Parts: sequence; structure tokens; C-alpha cells
Amino acid sequence: MAATGEGLREGGIQEDDDLVFRKICSMLEPLNQVNVKLTRDTDIVADLEIDSVSVLDIVMDVEDAYDISIPVNVISETRTIGELVDAIHKTKKEQA
Amino acid sequence: MGLFEKFEKTAALYNGLSDAGRNPFTVIMEEMLSPTRASIKGRETVLAGTHNYLGMTFDSSAIEAGQAAIAAHGTGTTGSRFANGTYGIHRALEDDLAAFLGLDHCIVFSTGYQANLGAIAGLLKAGEDIALIDADCHACIYDGCQLAGVETVRFRHNDPESLDKRLARVSPDVKGKLVCIEGMYSMFGDIAPVKEFVEVAHKHGAYLFVDEAHSFGVYGENGRGVSEADGVMDEIDFYSGTFSKSLASVGGFVASNHREVDYLRFSASPYKFTASPTPANISSAHAALKRISADPSIRERLWENVNRLHAALRQLGFHLAAEPAPVVSVLFKHADDAFSGWHALLENGVYVNMAIPPATPNSMSLLRLSVSAAHTPDDIDRIVAGYTAMANAVPAARAAG
Repeated sequence: MAATGEGLREGGIQEDDDLVFRKICSMLEPLNQVNVKLTRDTDIVADLEIDSVSVLDIVMDVEDAYDISIPVNVISETRTIGELVDAIHKTKKEQA
Repeated sequence: MGLFEKFEKTAALYNGLSDAGRNPFTVIMEEMLSPTRASIKGRETVLAGTHNYLGMTFDSSAIEAGQAAIAAHGTGTTGSRFANGTYGIHRALEDDLAAFLGLDHCIVFSTGYQANLGAIAGLLKAGEDIALIDADCHACIYDGCQLAGVETVRFRHNDPESLDKRLARVSPDVKGKLVCIEGMYSMFGDIAPVKEFVEVAHKHGAYLFVDEAHSFGVYGENGRGVSEADGVMDEIDFYSGTFSKSLASVGGFVASNHREVDYLRFSASPYKFTASPTPANISSAHAALKRISADPSIRERLWENVNRLHAALRQLGFHLAAEPAPVVSVLFKHADDAFSGWHALLENGVYVNMAIPPATPNSMSLLRLSVSAAHTPDDIDRIVAGYTAMANAVPAARAAG
């Protein structure tokens, strides 16, 4: 696993949308072998050619970075980076 | 048109391999010659990629029991366990499996996949309960959670601390918490720290479900699995296993000291709505169970073979996924190299399993050697010779490949 949650914890729960987005991008970038530009509309599996299990592994890094649990069911409904960012915000709010 | 578009990418890979005559997923065993040999493309091949850990596929007592069961009870049950498909032999096997495991209750399902699917989906209720599953759990555990429609959280593989954190986050409104792990994981052949998981799960009031499909009959003083080897057989909450590996039949089971496990007989769809195991499957599994209970030397032979093959492959410089276990996997960074390695082994008369992401952990590809107690010294020599040839043919197969 190239990305890790280490060093990403200091941001805390108040971070705005843009910072969460940037954090997700920093986790995805090492896996971005096809070198596409990462935007909120980037489809994680289709555009980045990352397999579905790797996406779930990245989510565990996200969980540890934000001290939240994002159910697999929620992940399977997110396709784009923007949807993942939104799911993190929603979960942070629910589990705060 | 639209229905099939999603298959295009995978189909291109699959058809390309088939066209090249090297598709690991379309191999045909034309004739079984022994527990460890088959004819593939007309050629005698050593089977190093089966789950015949205790080598029971041609055990004479199991064959006789299967034949006698067909004669006595017929070829099929034509019904589910819930309706007309429960015979005395199904119940007798449940009783003996429970006794073998030292647990109070056991329920037999039609396959191992359905045992996990049925138990997990039957135990959990959407909107009330939560499943916490090891990241490397088998597809049937994921599918069980999905069938239940229950909130499902993954924790890091073999990491009780990661589970601890996630259990601590569970809302107090959640009613039941089920933690799912496996004894030995089938891809890497690594072992779960079951005792530590018991402690963490119970600290949070969660139940622990241990799938010992690959470790039943293989680990522990009596062959009860990794839970026995870890000294926690009577502390785990649910135990699942299969007949299709060490017992060399088809079927699965769930066992527990919780008497409520019996409720699965009416709550688990994969128990109620599929045909029960055939008399031959039940009786050959039962005979195999009796054999492995009575003769621990079968297990000892397996471990001798494991140690010999693991040491030989390590010596050859392969990147091995885990410590010695009945599954010895060689890891590859690139799927192409794994395909080449698989093909080189088959060309040298050795069949192994191949696995690629996303079926594998950490995006690695692997060649899985499954060791059998029935592997003869000659089989082992041929396997080692095959791997030696493969290492020369595919340089990337050596360490860190």
C-alpha cells in the first residue's frame, strides 16, 4: 500500500471540503499510474484504473486519518473523488 | 449491446490468454490419475494447486462410504434441508462434526460458500446490526454481509488494534456486532491471531465468527483449526468450515456453543432454498472425518511436506507470502510475470493456482502452491524441479519479483 494515513492526522475534523479533497488526492496520486488530472469528477476505478479492493484499502487510510468508519456499503455507492469527499464529510458529521 | 459492455475489458484479457493457449482459468483436468496427479492436455501433471490438504480424494473408506450411500439413499435428496432434504445421515454428520470440534451445535449446508453466506446473512439484520470484517476475508463473507444488507466495516488484515479502533467507534444504538476473520487465509497462507481477536471482540461485546475452511483438519493438536492451535476453541462464538478441502467432498458447516445458532435453520436462505448435500457427499465427508480423527499421522505427513516445499522454494529465492503453511504462495508485482510463471510450471508438468488483483491482497499477483499429505517424495521432487525451471524462465519470479 503506497498511501498511508500517517502525517495526515494533524488537520482534524474542521477541515473544509477543499482540504479533504486534497488529502484524498495525495493518497490517490501514488496509484495514479495513468497520470490523469485528479478532479472531483475523476472516476476512481474507471479513470485511474485502480481495482475496487485498492479503493477499499485507501478508505482504511482515510478512516484512520479522520478517526471515522466508512461502511463498505457507502463506498460501493461512490464512484468519483467528489462523491468520496462528500461521504467523508457526511460520516464525520454523523460520527462526531 | 449495453448488457455486455461491462465485460469488454476483462473479456479481452481472458480471450487473449485463451488464444495464447495459456489461460489458468480454463484448465481441464481430463482424467484424475491419483490424489496428486491428473492428465492435462494429454500429459501427466503433478497437482500442486488443489485444496486436497489431507489427500483424502481417493481414500478407500471415503469411496466405499460414498458408493454405499448412493446405493442405500439414492443419488440426490431432491429437496432443501428445510423441507424434505434432511436425512438421518445429515444429522449424524452434524453430531460427529460438533463432537470433533468440541462444540455443542453444528449445521450442515450445501457448500462452504453457502455456510458463510447463510450464517452471516442469517445472523445479521439490516438497520440493527453491524459486521466488522478482516480486509482479506473471502468473497463469501463479503457476499454474506451484502445479502444481509447490513452496515459493513473493514479492518486492517490480521490487526486486532485496527478492529479495536473500529469497534470503539460503533454507535451504542447498534444491537449486534459480528466480527469475521479466517483461520488461515487462502491467498497468502498466513494465520490469524485468533486469541487476540477474541479478546478485542469480547471486550466490546461483539461476537467472533472464524472461517476455518482452509485450516480445518490441518492446524491444532486435534486438527480443529487455528482456533484450537491458539487455545481458544471454547471462546470463539461461531466456527465455519467446508467439506471441499480436507474432507475432499462438497458441503459446509457452521458450529457454535450458542444454542441459538440453530435458528439459522429457519433464518438462513442459503440453508432453506437450495438442495441439501447428496448422500454420497455427506457419507464420504463423514468417512473422511472419521479417518482424520483416528489417524493424526495424515496431518503429520502434510506438515513434513509443507516444511520441505517451503524450504525448497525459499532456497530458490522466491518472494514467499508467509511462513510455512499448507498454502505456499510466490508473489509477483506484475500479473504478466505471474502468467509467465504459471505457464512455465505447467510446461514443466506442475499445476498450481494463479490469482491476480482484485482477488488478492495488496494488489499482488501470486502463484499458489497447495501442499497435500498425499504428495509423494517423487511428486515433491517434480514440483521443486518445476519451480527451478520456472525461476530460470521467469527472472522476475525471484525475490521481490
